[in-house]
Amino acid sequence: MAGLDLKDLRKNYGTVEVIKGVDLSIDHGEFVVFVGPSGCGKSTLLRMIAGLEEITGGELWIGDRLCNTVEPRDRGIAMVFQNYALYPHMTVYDNVGFGLKLAKTPKAERDRRIREAARILQMEHLLQRKPSQLSGGQRQRVAIGRAIVRQPEVFLFDEPLSNLDAALRVETRMEIAKLHQDLGTTMVYVTHDQVEAMTLADKIVVLDRGVVQQVGSPIELYQRPANLFVAGFIGSPKMNLLPATVDAVEGDIVRVSSRDLAATAIRARSDGLKKGDSITLGVRPHALVPNQNGNVVGQVALVERLGNETNVSVRLPGGTPLMVVLDGDRALRLGESIILGFDPAQALLFDQSGVAREPL
Amino acid sequence: MSKAGPIVGGIAAIVISALVFLVPFAFIILTAFKDRAQAAALDFTWPASFNLWTNLVEVVTTRNWMLVTAFINSTILTVSSVTLLVVFAAMVGFILARRKSRWNPLVEFLILAGLMIPPAVVPTIWLMQGLGLFGKLHGLVLIEVAYNLPFSIILYRAFIATIPRELDEAAIIDGARPLDVFFRVILPLLWPVTVTNIVVQSVGIFNDFTNPLYYLPGNQNATVQLTLYNFQSQFNTSYNLLFTNILLITIPPLIVFLFFNRQIVAGMTAGAVKG
Ligand SMILES: Nc1ncnc2c1ncn2[C@@H]1O[C@H](COP(=O)(O)OP(=O)(O)O)[C@@H](O)[C@H]1O
Ligand SMILES: [Mg+2]
Repeated sequence: MAGLDLKDLRKNYGTVEVIKGVDLSIDHGEFVVFVGPSGCGKSTLLRMIAGLEEITGGELWIGDRLCNTVEPRDRGIAMVFQNYALYPHMTVYDNVGFGLKLAKTPKAERDRRIREAARILQMEHLLQRKPSQLSGGQRQRVAIGRAIVRQPEVFLFDEPLSNLDAALRVETRMEIAKLHQDLGTTMVYVTHDQVEAMTLADKIVVLDRGVVQQVGSPIELYQRPANLFVAGFIGSPKMNLLPATVDAVEGDIVRVSSRDLAATAIRARSDGLKKGDSITLGVRPHALVPNQNGNVVGQVALVERLGNETNVSVRLPGGTPLMVVLDGDRALRLGESIILGFDPAQALLFDQSGVAREPL
Repeated sequence: MSKAGPIVGGIAAIVISALVFLVPFAFIILTAFKDRAQAAALDFTWPASFNLWTNLVEVVTTRNWMLVTAFINSTILTVSSVTLLVVFAAMVGFILARRKSRWNPLVEFLILAGLMIPPAVVPTIWLMQGLGLFGKLHGLVLIEVAYNLPFSIILYRAFIATIPRELDEAAIIDGARPLDVFFRVILPLLWPVTVTNIVVQSVGIFNDFTNPLYYLPGNQNATVQLTLYNFQSQFNTSYNLLFTNILLITIPPLIVFLFFNRQIVAGMTAGAVKG
């Protein structure tokens, strides 16, 4: 049984602060995904948990042990690397068994556990091969096998799928999800791909520039992003963010408009907002539908017909691009004028500091 | 016509290198077969009589079987020096590539200095005497290691930089202590460079003439190269025996070459990372 507790965790490289005080609590058995743009410090944070990076400040608790200075091998963790990091001179069998050998596990026990891991990952037929004789997907499987045999309390994954091609990525993603179900251990997974995050996670941690932006379940993050960064990062295609001005504040109703947007009333937390404030209106591409009485008018700039849905890029008079995803197949002409509407309950307001004004 | 150029050039190159390398060797072999009188002429003629066996026996038994002692000494010297060189050079290269610290520039300077500055013999002897290592075989081992270390380090360093760091980290997570990481993961991967190091350094040390001459005086301590003195003197040199001796001590380096030539290991790290 091991959850994780990160208390004001910090990391400096020289004078540069890379992780700026992360507080996070992860329950036993949870699948947590760290997601964020490249360079935001996801790997650094994961490597601090693994013990590969020194912790500059704060506390790291694994289970009920303070692990700041505990050696990696004693933390009860296993890690899967982006580029697999298999030992090239050893067979798959020895790669998987290396940790057990170092721990002086008796030979019979070692053999049993290696074969057990190979069975779980369906790679029994690969055991005598060298890593150079394996495909990318098989290599990643061996890397996961190497983690499994250690029977860790916590699995750490650093972008394990990013070197695989698209089809294999989906397949391996499902395998990892299944592995989590079967083993029931805590898993911490790093990715810059929000689709991976949405599909795998019990809990997503969105990071930007070393700061946690929001923690929550995938649907929470999708429906109630805490700020502009999360709103723009989670969801594909991205949420449309339209600059607008506050026309009036009436209780928890805020009326906004702009050149691109006819007057719209939206329920929001309105404290501190007043007439004339600039504000950002966020609306998901899927929330927009053609509607003769709609409040957004633009010209079709680009159409992608996928069969089951149609992605339309719309040019608004103010120049802001607007992404719309329409159900089914729509034959739209480029340059055609289009009127779109949305349910105000599905729109979000963000104030000048970028914080979401969710209705209470 | 355009194709003839490279072919002619290639043949010319082969012929020239054959001349440069094989003719002296042929001369050595021919002379080793001759008797003393014919060998003294030092010419390129067919032996009048075949005396290889008697020459061999005489060379080996001279001065109370000195050549045998010399072979034992040289083997000990070569094997221990090269072993130490490989281990230490790989370790230094590993630390230099992996653990950046403010000492690195100093270490790199010392490595370059070791390559460039010729060793001073007399102070070294003085130091060795002070340490009680002068005239001792293990003292000479240390000398060879010290003199050749910079070159070996340079060979290793560039290669270690190409080994992905994640490999060390994976090993650390697997529970490897620093020495495990080095001996079980890194050193095996360095095999291509290690082969180069073994060939270059063992041939160099086995053939070393000057350092044993300076630092290892005494008949009991002779190394193979010094046995060449047995048959030369100012007025009286037995060329047949000298060349038989040369022939004998050329064999071990030749074997090293032939053996490791087959061990060209390319792409050992292929498959370590994405592919
Ligand atoms: N050894 C290092 N020295 C200095 N800066 C580093 C070092 N490693 C990472 N960084 C910086 O820390 C930040 C976070 O890196 P990383 O955790 O690798 O990001 P990512 O989220 O892409 O995994 C980056 O801006 C990177 O430049
Ligand atoms: Mg990363």
